[in-house]
Amino acid sequence: MIPRYQRILFWCLAIASLLMALFLIHGCEQTREKLTRHRDQTPLAAPVETPSQTVRLALANDADGSITLVERQIALPAEPTARARALLARLIAEYSYKDSAHPLESGPAIDDVFLLDLPLPSSIAAKDKAAAPESDIAPDAADTPSAYSAAPHMPGGQLAVINLRGTFADHHPSSIESETLTIQSIVGTLFANFPRIEQVRFLVDGQPRDTLNGHAGLARTYQAVNTATAQGTAQ
Amino acid sequence: MTLTRTCAAVLLAAFAGAAAVVLVTQTQIHAQAQNPAAPTPAQIPTPSRPQPPAAPTTNRSLIFLDPAHGGADSGATLGDHILEKDVTLAFATRLRSALTSAGFTVVTTRDADPSDPLTPDQRAETANRSHAAACIVLHATAVGSGVHVYTSTLEPALPEDADSSSAYVPVPWETAQASFVDQSRSLADILKTALAKASLPALTGQAPLRPLDNLMCPAVAVEIAPNAGTAAPANDSDYQQHIAFALTTALQKWRDQLAPAPASPASPVGPPQ
Repeated sequence: MIPRYQRILFWCLAIASLLMALFLIHGCEQTREKLTRHRDQTPLAAPVETPSQTVRLALANDADGSITLVERQIALPAEPTARARALLARLIAEYSYKDSAHPLESGPAIDDVFLLDLPLPSSIAAKDKAAAPESDIAPDAADTPSAYSAAPHMPGGQLAVINLRGTFADHHPSSIESETLTIQSIVGTLFANFPRIEQVRFLVDGQPRDTLNGHAGLARTYQAVNTATAQGTAQ
Repeated sequence: MTLTRTCAAVLLAAFAGAAAVVLVTQTQIHAQAQNPAAPTPAQIPTPSRPQPPAAPTTNRSLIFLDPAHGGADSGATLGDHILEKDVTLAFATRLRSALTSAGFTVVTTRDADPSDPLTPDQRAETANRSHAAACIVLHATAVGSGVHVYTSTLEPALPEDADSSSAYVPVPWETAQASFVDQSRSLADILKTALAKASLPALTGQAPLRPLDNLMCPAVAVEIAPNAGTAAPANDSDYQQHIAFALTTALQKWRDQLAPAPASPASPVGPPQ
């Protein structure tokens, strides 16, 4: 025979548990409604379907020091700077594959790409000239067209400024061949896909740097030319 | 009496000298009056343009070696605690010995690992003052295989006009190598051929590497990578010795190919060497 006070206590505890369960369920419902309401207020960009297009990548090969133009089908944004950045990101990603002929560490490499119309504004050109290496033999050496020219070869010519990530430069294989091929690969890819780009300059973490990783120079202006030594096949 | 004669002789000599000066001056004035167009130093201002420097004579038996990196700049890491600056220095020592045995004089930028190494500009200055027959910048890497021989990315300079050969044209520091690019590429081809004959895989190319563009001599950068055929690393002594002998053979051929420096109007003509 169960005493009466124990039965009363049992039912009291059962009712308390039921009330606590109802309170908990109610709290969860309120929280879920709150989160849902907040998420609904977040603006969402309308999905845009970007069709894949054919681009040409200048891929390097360490075995013979060659650059080969290959075609790829990829989707790229329409805005030119974002397009150049995405294209170069894809190029560097190709080198992180296991069977790459020019192996590089995986990870983000391109921070930004800036496309500047040539000739540069006088203020930028003056800063560029001031940053030029000093000449011991001829002080006017910084005026040499091949090194620091800001005049386009054709109307609408552009200067591409590639801002590399410091981690990419620091972890890049340190050798003349590897560093030179990386630069030639970037320059050749820009030349093959952006006909307006005439000159290419490099920054690392937003700052000028003498070399990529101890060898190939980054403190110069590269002319956008066809660096490919062979023609590849589409994939 | 003797004193009087001496004084008379001195006075007579002074009078004769003065008369000669007056006579020469009158002759010049007369000639100038007859030919007013004849140039005289007083009529033509002294050209403010600096005179062309004497053409430097290349020493065909002098080789400039630049073991890259040094000090805090250790270069690449080729393995466990193997630094590029040590490998280039070791190879430079071997190559210098081989070259000296072949009758070359060798100038190097460093014989040890200095705490304050030369900058690329200082290395180029040392090379340009040496007037070497060949300037070789030494590098080493763990990437790739064989021996890589690089020349400057500069375009060859256009040949100067005969009329402008006497004019002093400043040499831009950043493109000083342009006048030597053709020779540098010929030197690279000779090096590659010699390496191939020695059964060493070789690769030639162009690289944006300092101080190649600043060198006023036939200049190449030699980068030693592991030998894929024998699996020898870049710091292997036998592998380095093999390369050193091949390069020495090539430089002997290069020395034989070099013609004596042509006589220049600005430089004194010396006896044939």
